[in-house]
Amino acid sequence: MSHAITVSPEAQASDQKFLEESKNAGLTRYIKRHSKQARITHDVTIICCIWLMISGLFVFAPPLTQLCPQELIFAFRMSHRIIGVVFCAVPLISFFMAPSGARHIWKANTCKWTSDDVMWMVMFFPYLFGAKWIHMPDQDEQKSGQRFADGMLWVCGFLMAISGVILLLGSMVFTLSPGAHAVWLFLHDLGFFLLCIFATAHIFLGAGIFQPYRGGKDINGNKVKGCWNLMFGDGMVSEADALYHWGHWAREELESGENVVYKDKDGNIVEFPKGK
Amino acid sequence: MADKAFLFDTSRCSGCHACQIACKVWNELPSTLELNGNKWSGSHQNPPDVNGTTRLIMLYNEMENPAYTTTGEVSAQLATKRVKWAFGRRACQHCTDAPCSNICPAGAIFVDAETGLVTTDDSKCIGCQYCSAACPFEVPQYDEGTAVGTIQKCTGCVDRVHNGMKPACVSTCQPEALDFGDRDEMIKKAYERLEMLKARGYSDAMVYGEKEMGGLHVIQVLKYGAAAHGAVENPKVSPAVALAGVTKPLTGVVFPLCIVGFGVMTALAAGYKRDTLVYNTDTKDTIILETGEVAKTGTRPADTRGWTDAVFENLPFMAANRKKKGGE
Repeated sequence: MSHAITVSPEAQASDQKFLEESKNAGLTRYIKRHSKQARITHDVTIICCIWLMISGLFVFAPPLTQLCPQELIFAFRMSHRIIGVVFCAVPLISFFMAPSGARHIWKANTCKWTSDDVMWMVMFFPYLFGAKWIHMPDQDEQKSGQRFADGMLWVCGFLMAISGVILLLGSMVFTLSPGAHAVWLFLHDLGFFLLCIFATAHIFLGAGIFQPYRGGKDINGNKVKGCWNLMFGDGMVSEADALYHWGHWAREELESGENVVYKDKDGNIVEFPKGK
Repeated sequence: MADKAFLFDTSRCSGCHACQIACKVWNELPSTLELNGNKWSGSHQNPPDVNGTTRLIMLYNEMENPAYTTTGEVSAQLATKRVKWAFGRRACQHCTDAPCSNICPAGAIFVDAETGLVTTDDSKCIGCQYCSAACPFEVPQYDEGTAVGTIQKCTGCVDRVHNGMKPACVSTCQPEALDFGDRDEMIKKAYERLEMLKARGYSDAMVYGEKEMGGLHVIQVLKYGAAAHGAVENPKVSPAVALAGVTKPLTGVVFPLCIVGFGVMTALAAGYKRDTLVYNTDTKDTIILETGEVAKTGTRPADTRGWTDAVFENLPFMAANRKKKGGE
């Protein structure tokens, strides 16, 4: 944040008092972002997806196919079918276990775009190459780019699942005509092409390979876990990271306090000292 | 060795099935031993189609002869028989532009350089069935339920041909409906037979395979025309197969470019230490922890910068320019 703004002396004094109290307490505020079920669903699905991409690659790329023994490729193909079923089943089971969660995801991804959302999207590519210098506008629960990219992942996931199931059933339960087989194979290949881009980009950002998506610091200057922790950890985001990535959402959550917890320097959830 | 080809003359075929059986025997392909194990096709055609253990079948097509009369007034030679019985031969056509060979990722289907026949290497087949999707004749078959576990299609008996023998089906054909030899010679023989059939009044008779799919290596003399003998008229590869040929190289180019791009982004962002932000719910101020300055105020402050300002304002050369102007 390069531009500081001027506030009233009273507000300034209140801010300084707030900073001192927070530092003295030695606690960091976290916001609960993803439920345990959401994390398990995401993690199982993404592990399946990675395995499916790797095992599929050995059929998709002729040089790789020809490099490996037939038995290994056969094992990859069989694992592709079994893991493919898990890939389709887990999100479906999760959906039926918590339809309200699915509705929440749908609403967060399909909400109306604000001027900040449009600006964020326009600035995204320059930001990727100049994160040190470009400061992005605040965002709601899902960034506009996240809505687009997650939407593409959903589309690709559906495309792969539907085409995969039809190809699987077409060789086990019924017989697909060669023309229909070719069309579904093409759609499966197209889904793979899109996943190569969007899943890799998702991993690049979500796993914190890109520096700004790694954890920042807490109020006491200690390093906190980055975006990786949201899905592969306890599903909580530190106040500083939440304000950096989803500013509007973070302030709403901090105001309501419903999903806010305090952690000590060891990462234990604690009560905030009374009267502070 | 010149390109080889099969010649199948339907006017000589007696529909005895010997070719089908010889193929099974030579290639050691099992048949069902169950009573009525094969679905009935409604004719002598058995099994109803090529499958995971059957590379070649005889097609039987019985048609009413419209010229036949029961009065005994036979006006033409062709009207003496009530039924027109058109035999066909359904197996790999050994295309010159073989799409199955082009699409096979494992190199399990390939064109034999010596003969031009499209043959297979079972040890390489991974069962992906791309070839089944690509073949305009719907020939390569993969049956999950069989012990064979690989794609099945006529190999042209290249093992026999390389050792100076004719393919198994040809060697067993008693009425000499099947022949095998140099492709040019087979085409020449086919046209000689066609001339003879035309002279006998078979106006629909034709030679099939000379030009289809870049030229087939199965040349057929079809006494009653293509449809009657189960031949595919104007065989074409599905456009989806051609599209599949685009997605692979496209992925091969775009994916590495993405990885390079991510590498550049990572390098440019290396060492970035961003400000730590905290939010005071009492004042609604978002505060920069390191400096104590207020970055934003309000619960939902909209960004009022123009996007060009937002992108360029802090870039090193822009900041330097601003400083320089300010200094002047």
